[in-house]
Amino acid sequence: MSAPVAITGIGAICALGSEPAQIYRALRAGRTAFAPLRQWDSAGWPAPLAAGVERIDAGAIFDDRRLLKSVQRLRRTDLLGLYAASRAVTASAMLEYRAALPGAQAVEFNERTAVFTGCGGVAYHYQYDFLNAMAAGGGDLRVFGQKLGESVNPTWLLQALPNNVLCYLGIAYGFKGANSCITNHSVSATMAIIEAMETLRTGDADRAVAVGHDSPIEPEAILNLYHLGLLTADTTRPFDAGRSGCLLGEGAAAMVLETQAAAAERHAPVLGIIIGAGVTTEALGVLGIRADGDGAVRAMEMALEAAGITPRDVAMIAAHGNGTVNSDRSEANAIRRVFGADMPPVTSFKWALGHTMAAAGALEAVLVLECLRNGAAPGIGALRDPDPQCLPLAVSASATALHGDIALVLGRGFGGMNTALLLKAPPDATP
Amino acid sequence: MPVRRRVAITGLGLVTPLGNSTATTWHALLAGRSGIAPIGAFDAGGYPVRIAAEVKDFAAPVHDRHRKLLKFATRHALFALAAAQEAIQDAGVGPQPQTAQRWGCVAGSGMMGVAYEELAQFQRRFAPGGELASRLLFAPSAPTPDPIAYARNQANAGLALLVQRFGIRGYAGSVHTACASGGQAIGLAMRLIRRASVDFVLTGGFDSMINPVGLAAFSLLGALSTDNERPTRASRPFDRTRNGFVLGEGAGFMVLEEWQAARRRGARIYAELAGDGNSLSSYRITDSHPSGDGPIQAMRAALQDAGAQPHEVGYINAHGTSTVMNDRSECAAIKAVFGAHARQVKVSSTKSLMGHLIAGAGAVEAAICALVIHHSTLPISANLDDPDPQCDLNFVREVACRSRVGLAISNSFGFGGSNSCLVLRNPQDVAA
Repeated sequence: MSAPVAITGIGAICALGSEPAQIYRALRAGRTAFAPLRQWDSAGWPAPLAAGVERIDAGAIFDDRRLLKSVQRLRRTDLLGLYAASRAVTASAMLEYRAALPGAQAVEFNERTAVFTGCGGVAYHYQYDFLNAMAAGGGDLRVFGQKLGESVNPTWLLQALPNNVLCYLGIAYGFKGANSCITNHSVSATMAIIEAMETLRTGDADRAVAVGHDSPIEPEAILNLYHLGLLTADTTRPFDAGRSGCLLGEGAAAMVLETQAAAAERHAPVLGIIIGAGVTTEALGVLGIRADGDGAVRAMEMALEAAGITPRDVAMIAAHGNGTVNSDRSEANAIRRVFGADMPPVTSFKWALGHTMAAAGALEAVLVLECLRNGAAPGIGALRDPDPQCLPLAVSASATALHGDIALVLGRGFGGMNTALLLKAPPDATP
Repeated sequence: MPVRRRVAITGLGLVTPLGNSTATTWHALLAGRSGIAPIGAFDAGGYPVRIAAEVKDFAAPVHDRHRKLLKFATRHALFALAAAQEAIQDAGVGPQPQTAQRWGCVAGSGMMGVAYEELAQFQRRFAPGGELASRLLFAPSAPTPDPIAYARNQANAGLALLVQRFGIRGYAGSVHTACASGGQAIGLAMRLIRRASVDFVLTGGFDSMINPVGLAAFSLLGALSTDNERPTRASRPFDRTRNGFVLGEGAGFMVLEEWQAARRRGARIYAELAGDGNSLSSYRITDSHPSGDGPIQAMRAALQDAGAQPHEVGYINAHGTSTVMNDRSECAAIKAVFGAHARQVKVSSTKSLMGHLIAGAGAVEAAICALVIHHSTLPISANLDDPDPQCDLNFVREVACRSRVGLAISNSFGFGGSNSCLVLRNPQDVAA
């Protein structure tokens, strides 16, 4: 059993809202956030819905005006990540604590604050910045080379860097500790949280900001996912017999993590604790998925073992539940194999806020804390008729009361990636 | 507290501008042969930079059983496959069905997805005038997109390919912190063994940005040397006349194993992977602090993690990009960390011969450190004829030098401010 890690600040943004509690309330109210694509001319598109964020309040990110100006030049995914992270940092009140420290201790505070991000990497549309020069070149690379300067921003590379959120969080807040940026499809955010947690456990940092962010709503992603049969033209209905795929969403979520000693030292209110995690792969290639859910089974078993608990101790499962035919079925198989008769309520949030890809794990982890705090898991509002092939699975269209204080978040991504993360309500919480 | 598990490096694989294997790369390094030449992959005549360190005469590793995987691989993923295959062969141990769950894979992956030719085809079809005509994507006449191309272009496609090819079923992760990616990936891999998530890890980094878009991106930034007329001299880290780095490509992979298990099976251990230190410069996006702040913390953290003192370090494989900013900042950092020993410890930047492999750099250079320890031989920092007075360290110059190395460190600092330092220890110095 490994030492639990405390969560002392959270932030989130997605199409359903810009605060964790607000997003949770929307889910409980059964609201979805899908709207027709407006970002580009999608007339005639068979899959015209997505859950885009209406507005990112850039002014709420950093108060340094120069920094804010340069941040506003960043890609949308980075703005989302910085927004969520700045909300989590603010909520944790860690900066106020640092401000009261004597100089040398403040330096140490920064050097022992880690930053871990999970994101989607370079999107297709970033490279569209080169299309003008390509059209001008008409296949002649020499002309393309000569025309670049006229149409491509000289800092293109810097704007495309997948690790920009890491970079700007460091610059904005002065954090200088261990860090990484994980680009592993839909498990990126969960892996960022897991590596932040492990860094605290090994004593390599006292605090960490873990952020997952993504903005996958772009023409080529939709084109490809649609043709692969992963995107629905209808609405997304995880675990439903009539499900036909996912819908894309965008967003970000962040957590401030601290060792329990570091949190106690500054009397930080604890919002929850992370008690265990597991990561596995299924080795079937980018698009392969094992019907028996083997990778997810092993990830869950690893997490349970790390936490020193049994399936009976888990009060809810936030499934990956992306609404695609094969993923949902194999995930249901995995949950049944691990939980059997001890299965707690199972839900998925993607029916309402869409599949936010690399951000999904962080959003789901933050929302699970809200579930634990409120003692209830929102239902899968779009569920009409659970898929008999997924049953028995404890899914419901309406909210379920929770009996217990531990939640499991399952994540899955391209490449046969699987993650399991176990979160627990704070000790003094009374659900 | 239980004793921390020790990590052994037991297999190495390299595909670099100097050679398509560990042995050929190492021999070229010792001979001081440059891998930098005019770009051959495409017509770079319209660019301000027309030289690079390309991987040459590369034949994708074709194995009948895995031939169909190759179409899922971009050029850089092919480098990764080849280097990983060599590393596993070299280690003499690989994932088997009964051990697959105890194997992990962590890769530092580059940021380029779509190959230029695919982007060009996309432009002709859907952006004939230069702007995307999005309606065309779903027009009745539009071809169905190729699912294999989509899979190949995912940010974790290289990782997915590696775990599939070698049948790895434990932890799998893909890291991108620009030029620190490879080093950070290997550091994370080491930690997986320490915390017993797995017992073996295939880890490394791979990249190729030598294509019309990648070269454009770096050219526009003005980060590259424009010494097109004398390519082999273009990369000259720490030299007074240096004027930017040279883009390289390739992959470096290694097999890490839990120490005792490696010993029990009689594995050849190149080195102990003894320490990993990461820091964030938190200064500017591309610039490093002139004082070395950022890299200083990474080196100190790595040494502390290894339980080592600065004076025990015998060789530093510097990040040494050949930009004024990096080289001065890195030297300042080395002086701050090593104090008086900074004048003794031998330093070289192998980027002088093989260019900058970006996300692959840290991994290839960590493998070079393992070879330095194994062969007691230190490669040169080439083209260092007139050292910058601010870079007054004990560089290995002109000829490779024979010297037993107890501890070697590999520095990698990335755009965005991520810094990585790895510490490798001579296996003879490990008790038990």
